Amino acid sequence: MPPARSHGRFPGFVTLLRYTGRMAKLGEVLDSAVAIARGMTVTFKEMLNPPITEEYPDAPPIFEERFRGAHVLERDENGLEKCVACFLCAAACPVQCIYIEAAENTDQVRISGGERYAQVYNIDYNRCIFCGYCVEACPTDAITHGHGFELASADTSALVMRKEDMLRPLGAA
Amino acid sequence: MADLVTFTIDGRQVQAAPRTLLITAAKQAGIEIPAFCYYDGFSLQAACRMCLVEIEKTPKLQVACTTPVTEGMVVRTDSPQVAAARKGMLELLLTNHPLDCPVCDKGGECELQDMVFRYGAGESRFVETKQHVDERQWSPVVFYDKPRCILCYRCVRVCDEGLGVGALGVGDRGSASEIIPNRGDHLECDECGACIDICPVGALTSGTYRYQTRPWEMDHVGTICTFCSNGCKTTLGVRNGEITRANNRDKSGVNGEFLCVKGRYGFDFNHHPERLTAPLVRVNGKLAPASWAQALATVGKKFAEVKQRGGKFGVIGSNHTTNEENYYLQNFARQALGTSNIDHRRTGDVATLIDALHGHAGALATTADLYTTPAALIIGSDLSQQHPFLAWQLRANFRHHQAKVFAITSGPIREDRYAAKTMRAAEGEELTAVESFREHLAQQKSLVILFGDSIKGDAVRKLVAFGDSLGIPVSYVPLVDYSNSRGASDMGVLPDLLPGYHGVREAGLEPGLAYDAILSATDLDALYVVQENPFAKTPLASTGAFVVVQDLFLTETAERADVVLPAASAYEKAGTVTNVCGEVQKLKAGAKTMGAKTDLEIMGLISKEMGVSIGIWKHDTVFAEVRKSVPGYNVALPVVETGGAAPTFPVNGRVPLEDRPDLISSDRNTLFLSGTLGRYSKMLTSVLEYPGKLYGQPVETELEMKEAQNT
Ligand code: SF4
Ligand code: SF4
Ligand code: SF4
Ligand code: SF4
Ligand code: SF4
Ligand code: FES
Repeated sequence: MPPARSHGRFPGFVTLLRYTGRMAKLGEVLDSAVAIARGMTVTFKEMLNPPITEEYPDAPPIFEERFRGAHVLERDENGLEKCVACFLCAAACPVQCIYIEAAENTDQVRISGGERYAQVYNIDYNRCIFCGYCVEACPTDAITHGHGFELASADTSALVMRKEDMLRPLGAA
Repeated sequence: MADLVTFTIDGRQVQAAPRTLLITAAKQAGIEIPAFCYYDGFSLQAACRMCLVEIEKTPKLQVACTTPVTEGMVVRTDSPQVAAARKGMLELLLTNHPLDCPVCDKGGECELQDMVFRYGAGESRFVETKQHVDERQWSPVVFYDKPRCILCYRCVRVCDEGLGVGALGVGDRGSASEIIPNRGDHLECDECGACIDICPVGALTSGTYRYQTRPWEMDHVGTICTFCSNGCKTTLGVRNGEITRANNRDKSGVNGEFLCVKGRYGFDFNHHPERLTAPLVRVNGKLAPASWAQALATVGKKFAEVKQRGGKFGVIGSNHTTNEENYYLQNFARQALGTSNIDHRRTGDVATLIDALHGHAGALATTADLYTTPAALIIGSDLSQQHPFLAWQLRANFRHHQAKVFAITSGPIREDRYAAKTMRAAEGEELTAVESFREHLAQQKSLVILFGDSIKGDAVRKLVAFGDSLGIPVSYVPLVDYSNSRGASDMGVLPDLLPGYHGVREAGLEPGLAYDAILSATDLDALYVVQENPFAKTPLASTGAFVVVQDLFLTETAERADVVLPAASAYEKAGTVTNVCGEVQKLKAGAKTMGAKTDLEIMGLISKEMGVSIGIWKHDTVFAEVRKSVPGYNVALPVVETGGAAPTFPVNGRVPLEDRPDLISSDRNTLFLSGTLGRYSKMLTSVLEYPGKLYGQPVETELEMKEAQNT
């Protein structure tokens, strides 16, 4: 079966060739050009407008406030760590990816506001499912979801974040 | 029983023995009445008012913890008034309570948390600022956080009634009331931590566990304390292979919830920085780290060579290794090395007692017997210092059953306070002194005699003859020092006896050298020491001997060794141990130390290197053999496997032993000492203080004296 011809106002390519070959019906050609231009108006117009989708990775992504990204361990108004190593986040975590070692604050070394602080605080992002249960469990609002999301790595051991990686830098409240 | 009383509780008719407390009767009927201050086994307090119940015909709510059930009583625990009362009590308890559960050590296993969760009062109507009092440290072990204290007096009672120390009291009035330690700002006590564990809230916390972890973060491994011979069950809280706490809150085991300071806090030797983690082999006069393969090959080669040329071996076993290891060790000595020169440091005369008791049935007392016996006689031991759990049992027996306790010791002991009769007698003179008790003892229904190391050899036989002459059933406890001293003896780590007190001649062998002779033999070719530290007291006479030592630390003995093999501790292996009363209990591995192997495995590997086979080195295989071949050890497996204590009675006719009373001596450890092992516990060394001395003034007596002087 021969290929179906296109009819109507947009002649097919072969038809067009046949017509141009004969230098005939120039008007029809112009017609076509106009039709194409008209068809592309939306495209051309949008080309000049600013984009409404995100420009990531050329531009930084924009998040909703409540986006659950990589965790941030918060500090209080005195710059002390909010986490008191209560282990409740670790207990709430459904995939058990939080590992904590607690230690006692002393008068000389005071890390957190409570009696105790997390000497070691690791989250294993190989396993974290960003459910936010830890954030919900935390009695001191010490752990929050930040907006970090570029967490992919070919090296699984690089996905275990340590306290130092997650702690909010001093002064950056 | 005809004399049961019938009463109604929550619409159910139930029966209970007369004078049963309502709280207990309800529990028996499966109805829980919440309580803080009521504690089984201690005096009644009625301080917390959590247990309020409604009793028909009584206008006000009543405390169930001090009200005995009576015939026809109608009790309601589920009425709105009761619920409101509970909620109200909790709200009051929380007035000044900091509710800092996230940092509180008790969080997760706190009775107050549980109660609030169950009976409400999550919201409080109090708006006043809570009083804050800073936390105080009373001793290396005990910390007190006053705002968390709910004044249930449990700590006060366990210390006074349970331990007989009475170091805690209550001071001040009203909301300022608090627990105070006996020295005003610090504690001088047994440091046992019983107060900490019995505290329903986080008011008392311990120096070792404070702020370390959370209860749900640990594995809980039930095993047996590795220090003294009393064989307390202890539940290790293990995190990442490291022990973070030990307690026995589930009251399993012979000891219920009792533990002394060694059982509760002495475990830290296990992760002491000086723990050996690689074998050491002497190269050019110095001990240098080596691989296991290298070290085992060195030992195997040397042992095989000495054996081939008919050289002289000496084997010294341990008071801490398991029955399986002891059994295997004597097999190893007698079969692989072909020597009878095997012994251990004997701390009590078990063998002579077993011999003297031939023909007596049931004459060895169990730890449970100490709680039920109508009378007990202590000879030559400061029981509360040397055998804390046995002393606890006798005290409980006195409290609950008014047991008559008699004691003959060379100095004042804690038991003096409640004993029916005590007497001072120099060591070795006790048997003369005991005659003056004869009349009193003969009046008792039955008697348990506990005797220390001053009764040995012939004295043991005389003591048994004395017991026989009383005309009442008498059973005995030969006091020995360490966690498996009894097992070492029962398993034949002796030059003249095989496992189960069979003479070596029965097996066609000649008795070998005893402990002292091994150390003093100048012509010894090789010495094999398993978890023992003989050179701390006696140097080795034979300078040329090849010495192999298995131990946890580089002890005085290990320093002299040619090969040192890092051994696993009792908290790191499975197997069984036998306590002072001959009860077999099972060890479970909790902690791990990289590089260390169990003594059983090491012995197996050495024999393999030597090319001799003395059986599979698996603890359950060896235990099966022990059960089969050692008289008295055919214990019920389910009992042992489920963490129970199975009594053994290895009496087997006459024991063809060679009397060597001179070899028997106890280390006289106090509460805070435990031979070489105790030196490596940071906690034990930090609490080494008064009253950690034998035959010292009991704390309370000294206090009373001071008070008497002041008034
Ligand atoms: S987000 Fe969920 S999975 Fe991830 S750490 Fe928190 S609790 Fe665990
Ligand atoms: S992050 Fe919060 S929940 Fe987790 S241990 Fe710290 S204080 Fe507790
Ligand atoms: S004692 Fe119990 S209720 Fe009080 S802070 Fe500690 S865990 Fe919370
Ligand atoms: S310290 Fe604990 S055990 Fe002692 S009275 Fe207070 S709450 Fe009770
Ligand atoms: S009494 Fe003995 S066995 Fe019991 S905890 Fe103390 S040292 Fe351990
Ligand atoms: S339990 Fe009855 S008053 Fe405390």
